[in-house]
Amino acid sequence: MPRRLGWTFWLSAGWIGLLLLAAIFADLLPLPRYDETLAGAPQSGPSPAHPFGTDGLGRDMLSRVVYGARVSLGVGIGAVLLGLVIGAPFGLIAGYRRRAADAVIMAVNDIALAFPALVFALAVVAFAGAGLSNVLIVLGVLGVPAWTRLIRGATMAFAEREFVVAARALGARDSRILLREIVPNVALPASSYAFIGMAVAVVAEGGLAFLGLSVQAPTPTWGGLINEGRGIMETAPHIVLAPSFVMFLTVLSFNLVGDRLRALTDVRQSGLEPARPSAATPLPTGEHEVAGTLLQVADVRTHFETPRGTVRAVDGVSFTLERGRTLAVVGESGSGKSMLIRTILGLLPGAGAVSGGQVYLEGREIGDLAPAEKREILGTRFATVFQDPMTALNPVRTIGTQVMEPLRVHLGMDRKRARQEAVRLLASVGIPEPAQVLRRYPHQLSGGMRQRVTIAMALSCDPDVLFADEPTTALDVTIQDQVLRLIHRAREERDLAMILVSHDLAVVSQWADEVIVMYAGKVVERGPAAALFERTRMPYTEALLQAIPRLDDPSHHRLRVIEGRPPDPARLPPGCRFQPRCPYAGERCETEEPPLVRAETPDHLYACWFPVGTGAGIVEGTESRGR
Amino acid sequence: MILRKVIRLLVVLGVVTFLSYVMLNLLPGDPTVQILGMSATEEAREQLRQEMGLNSPLFVRYADWLGGVVTGDLGTSYITDIPVLEALVDRLPVTLELLVVAQVISLALAVPLAVAAARRAGGAIDQALTTLSFGMLSTPVFVLGVVLILVFAVHLRMLPATGWTPISVDPYWNFLSVLLPSITLAVGQLAVYSRLLRTDLIATLQEDYITLARARGLSPRRILWRHALRPSAISLITAIGLNLGGLIGGAVIIETLFGLPGIGRLIVDSIFARDYLTVQGGVVLISVGYVLVNFAVDLVYAAVDPRIRRA
Amino acid sequence: MLRVEDLVVEFPAGKGRRVHAVSGVSFDVARGETLGIVGESGCGKSTTARALMQLPAPLSGSIRLDGVEMTSLRGEKLRETRRRLQMIFQDPISSLNPRRKVRDIVAEGPRVWGEGADRVDEMLEAVGLDPVTAAGRRPHEFSGGQCQRICIARALVLRPEVVICDEPVSALDVSVQAQILGLLEDLKERYRLTLVFIAHDLAVVKNISDRVLVMYLGKICELAPGETLVNRPAHPYTRALLASIPGGRLALPPADQLIKGEPPSPVWPPSGCRFRTRCPKARARCAEEEPVVRPVADGQWVACHFPEIDGV
Repeated sequence: MPRRLGWTFWLSAGWIGLLLLAAIFADLLPLPRYDETLAGAPQSGPSPAHPFGTDGLGRDMLSRVVYGARVSLGVGIGAVLLGLVIGAPFGLIAGYRRRAADAVIMAVNDIALAFPALVFALAVVAFAGAGLSNVLIVLGVLGVPAWTRLIRGATMAFAEREFVVAARALGARDSRILLREIVPNVALPASSYAFIGMAVAVVAEGGLAFLGLSVQAPTPTWGGLINEGRGIMETAPHIVLAPSFVMFLTVLSFNLVGDRLRALTDVRQSGLEPARPSAATPLPTGEHEVAGTLLQVADVRTHFETPRGTVRAVDGVSFTLERGRTLAVVGESGSGKSMLIRTILGLLPGAGAVSGGQVYLEGREIGDLAPAEKREILGTRFATVFQDPMTALNPVRTIGTQVMEPLRVHLGMDRKRARQEAVRLLASVGIPEPAQVLRRYPHQLSGGMRQRVTIAMALSCDPDVLFADEPTTALDVTIQDQVLRLIHRAREERDLAMILVSHDLAVVSQWADEVIVMYAGKVVERGPAAALFERTRMPYTEALLQAIPRLDDPSHHRLRVIEGRPPDPARLPPGCRFQPRCPYAGERCETEEPPLVRAETPDHLYACWFPVGTGAGIVEGTESRGR
Repeated sequence: MILRKVIRLLVVLGVVTFLSYVMLNLLPGDPTVQILGMSATEEAREQLRQEMGLNSPLFVRYADWLGGVVTGDLGTSYITDIPVLEALVDRLPVTLELLVVAQVISLALAVPLAVAAARRAGGAIDQALTTLSFGMLSTPVFVLGVVLILVFAVHLRMLPATGWTPISVDPYWNFLSVLLPSITLAVGQLAVYSRLLRTDLIATLQEDYITLARARGLSPRRILWRHALRPSAISLITAIGLNLGGLIGGAVIIETLFGLPGIGRLIVDSIFARDYLTVQGGVVLISVGYVLVNFAVDLVYAAVDPRIRRA
Repeated sequence: MLRVEDLVVEFPAGKGRRVHAVSGVSFDVARGETLGIVGESGCGKSTTARALMQLPAPLSGSIRLDGVEMTSLRGEKLRETRRRLQMIFQDPISSLNPRRKVRDIVAEGPRVWGEGADRVDEMLEAVGLDPVTAAGRRPHEFSGGQCQRICIARALVLRPEVVICDEPVSALDVSVQAQILGLLEDLKERYRLTLVFIAHDLAVVKNISDRVLVMYLGKICELAPGETLVNRPAHPYTRALLASIPGGRLALPPADQLIKGEPPSPVWPPSGCRFRTRCPKARARCAEEEPVVRPVADGQWVACHFPEIDGV
């Protein structure tokens, strides 16, 4: 991962390196000795001869700070290494072996954490003598529990991964697995923590020195210098400020280096809303008539600006949808089908998205509405069901709170009425004992039940359009059938329009009235389900249909293979986007992008220069709908 | 469930006090020298050892001491002749007030800051908070305390630099005297808390149930405070629990710096005076505090996240 | 070649309760055969697969590879026997160590056994990757389908006899799924492999398998050749499964008449027949007496008191 560490990392690392060199080669630097009194006038402020000024005895502060770095850095690095050397093996064993070893190590660790650490550091140093090695050992040992915990956590995260199981299947011994498979993965979080641990150790040593319990005078330490300067703070503040500032910079550098290393393992983050209001002008929209149908989507686009170039996730999608109809959007991952739904709903992830095109609800443009009005439409006219019922419900709120919330917010119901309505809704989606379920939490329900709850929530404010994004992909096939039936029934009863996003052509053929096939952000074929599946025109649709294993094919039947892989959305091929994988592609396909053109069946459109003539046909599927 | 937890915590307490007892007794230094002075004869010392029971085996002495602890007798300091319990109870309010005020300050600022930062991750507020928290995180308490004293007490003369006024004597002066120390203590925690919460909030905001809440037309404010905050609070609560244990350490330095008569100061003084019994009493107090806080944290976990309740 | 008898796997579920993941499963796999195992989540199919590898070893039961009892092997012996079986997992990304290069990943097996890495290039080519460009890169530079190819290469480089494929195509798109299924068929022929192929998608399993084993809640429901299973399903659960597949078979009644409700918890499996709580044909006997697996037709075995013998 060639992620950048950023300038803060290099600046901080540079400071640490500089300080380290200065501390090591302090004797060679052109500085007065740290203990040379009257090197300058006592308590004199910064001057060219003494950049940090002098202390009460006229000793050069710069020199004292540099020599103090020996103690601080020495203890910081030494304590971390000591903690690592003792803690890491325990952590590895606890995380990899689990069971008894883990229980014992973690029990000891718990007790160690309950130990009042600093009191012990104080006691040990006070009784055993304040010297560099004692301070280092005490701080190092005190760091062991944290190291054990960290390494154990990181190890556990990898020990259950399939690649470790695979290594065991290959016959690798545990020692080899630990060394080859786990340690390299644990190394990055460990190195990040090492720097943060150094920051902690430097501060802790400073604290001990401040209390007079670290390396004793005349050897200077940063904490000691600050403590000495306290008494004459009013007259000579530089004596306190100089070591304070250097210490601050050093601790900051350790923290920043640790943080940047940790950030290497992070996934990209985005908040609830984009970091900055989108400055880019919206993408241009092609000319279109406003039809006044229930839902009209005109030339919708979503592009992402990434370091690798513009990613055209959705590139000019238009359709209209009437009440009582189900429109299916199919495509493979990366085709832009889910992004299309999010664009229509205005739920794009923040970072770098630019969108264009218009969405009309009964002829009214909803993109220009004020946020509050838009939320009103989202809440009452549109409804959404997502793929994974495990993540679609808030784990810490009761089902009741969640089902009642839209009723109270959008319909203004009081608690009692909302509760009655919620019970009615849950019963209507086939949940047994709805009143009890209201008091439960999501984790107490099965996947199928949770999806029923999200469907009940979607239907709660009597919407006009239901957006179902892979509503059954995460469910078992017998439950999938139940849920699809439920959604279909709700659509019929309430005369909803539905947009069903799915990768599963079989599901689509069974439940959709109209189908859109997407490939690399574009609509490549669109039409009534029967026409599209029986008289497929676009080679991609055809290939997709023939790639699906079917129950009535004989065993060991060879499936159609689409060679290659979908194009990189940042580097789309010229001309038709499917052209590099298409067996029928001609020269024209590489130069000219095919527009959507009409097939002989009304409303059947396709984008291809050399359309295929024969259907691949999941015919029985389309006929069996609603059986 | 709760019973098992209590037993576990009692075991932890027992082990911690035993180990600390052993360690304190194994450390070099002869208490008789402290009491009788350097010039006392070996016979006099031996007699004192007999009286103090220092010659019986360590286990027996620990058992004796533990028996006292259970009945509320932590022993009497050889050095000051004050009962340890009395000394601790005397000092406890100062440290407690310091810790509580510091926690309140840091949490009251950290939560809204984290929410504001997470709302637009990478935005202006977020970047400012990140910069600020790195600065706060990297300032050792003794550095910060010294600087604060320099600015507010020495130059501006707004607040007392050192000293303590009990709340019973004068609430206003009590507030003034606790303000600088608790701010000093709160700054580091504020940085830790706000960063932890911000990171977890941002992770929560990626969840499907947040996107769905937006799709339901709920306002950003409602989503952040009602939907996202609670599932993001686990790390923060853990940190508060662990911190309260570690804070006693920070309190030692702060009490020294600001001249506050608290537990931390008592322990440091006792260490220098080789006053084992008082140190041991302090250890008991801190361990009990740690254990109680962790017990409370476990209860809070369950209240915050119902998934933990059944485990 | 591989004979499994009365396999039992249980996991602790806290508070002294146990998850009955696999309860008394027996089957055998002939050399050169592909046995498909199908079932819904929680039916124990993946646990069975891991138990075959002794990762972890089953609680009881016997697994014999060419007559060698694997469950009693320990240490070096186990390592040596285990290398004759290899495994391919569902999540190709998580199956590859992100910090290692493709060449090292594929060469790990031979290295463990002190053998030369001369077969690495051959294997990469066999799974359709160009050794020159691919070997030096790390897993994150590849798509899911390509990662699965790397996993297959890693599994085959030790010349295993049995390859256990645990949902190898579930995480992949349809077009890539077809590529991987085709590749597995090719490699099976080329290296004379025996496959155990696990998936939740009956159509996929039927496509690649000779015989199909249907599992429900840790038990075997039905074992039959693919064609027989699809055309003459005898167990009520198999019928429900087939009817639930969208665009599936018209000859069956709609799925909502063949199955109801949700699967019970494997911590408290129902008495008698485990499917009885969802079965429309369940009677008193189903709760009292556990049905044994018995033959109902040529090569077709069913565990049901009231099987649908005439097919549909």
